[in-house]
Amino acid sequence: MALIADPDGDLVRRVGQGDPAAIQAMVARKLPRMLALAHRMLGDVAEAEDVAQEVMLRAWKQAPVWTPGQARFDTWLHRVGLNLCYDRLRRRREVSTATPPDQADTGPAPDRGLLAADVGARVDAALTRLPDRQREAIVLCHYQELTNIEAAALMAISVEALESLLSRGRRALRLALADIRPGAEGA
Amino acid sequence: MTSERFLALVAAYGADARRWPEDERAAARAHAAAWPEAVADALAEADAADALLRASRVAHPTTVLRDRVMASAASTHFKRVRDEGRCWLDRLTLVLGAGWAAATCSGIVAGVMMATWLTTDAQVEAVLYQAFAPAVDDAEVLG
Repeated sequence: MALIADPDGDLVRRVGQGDPAAIQAMVARKLPRMLALAHRMLGDVAEAEDVAQEVMLRAWKQAPVWTPGQARFDTWLHRVGLNLCYDRLRRRREVSTATPPDQADTGPAPDRGLLAADVGARVDAALTRLPDRQREAIVLCHYQELTNIEAAALMAISVEALESLLSRGRRALRLALADIRPGAEGA
Repeated sequence: MTSERFLALVAAYGADARRWPEDERAAARAHAAAWPEAVADALAEADAADALLRASRVAHPTTVLRDRVMASAASTHFKRVRDEGRCWLDRLTLVLGAGWAAATCSGIVAGVMMATWLTTDAQVEAVLYQAFAPAVDDAEVLG
């Protein structure tokens, strides 16, 4: 099996040795990514912080025993983060009622202009309402900037299936936010 | 690159060519350059979705969260070093314990042998002594 080049390989090795500078670099490099992943998957900052902290804790435990060349450390972190997010999403579904309540339209009143912050909040809300797998595909490819092959592998689906999820997710977002005219999001 | 594939690519990955799969990027760019009018609507639609996605806001790590994560790194490392130290201590204890047990066993065996040897000598001496003492019955001495 061919060894997989890992841009984080040296950093992981040093973290495994307990190098304080490497630990600091790892936090700077990965904590924002893991927080962003969890925030967009869960739509809740406090829960996202808990997930990001747990992912990093597992990274500290994994680094000393990490075998280079088998996978990218960043991909492994995403796997851990996604699993933790899905655990929480599952728990939410278990406690929610059988018939989910109607979600209020958080859009602005017709007579109100859109600010960039409004658009951002509405996009985030629309992302949260997407089916989990469509949201996961968009988060991994668009926001986490993983390659289509990496994202498909993480989701345990084919690249074709990933592209289908991406297309449907993007189309659903456009439909949900059809009242936002192009250009308003940067106002 | 077929027209269908180009449309599927743009619908999935958006209008920004940098997000297109690397192995298809050059062909897709060439297709867009060759058929600008045919792809214009698809690119505009994808661009609008891209703009919406860009508007999303995401939380950034607070100082408190960073500090918590750094502290977890320190405690994990400390625990690992302590566990490794404890592991060596356990091995040392095992080796020393085994040595102590072996010495104890040797002492017990030596003691038993010594006792047997001394008892045998004493019995022999008693028998010899009794052999020359006519008034005493051998059975009485030896039991």
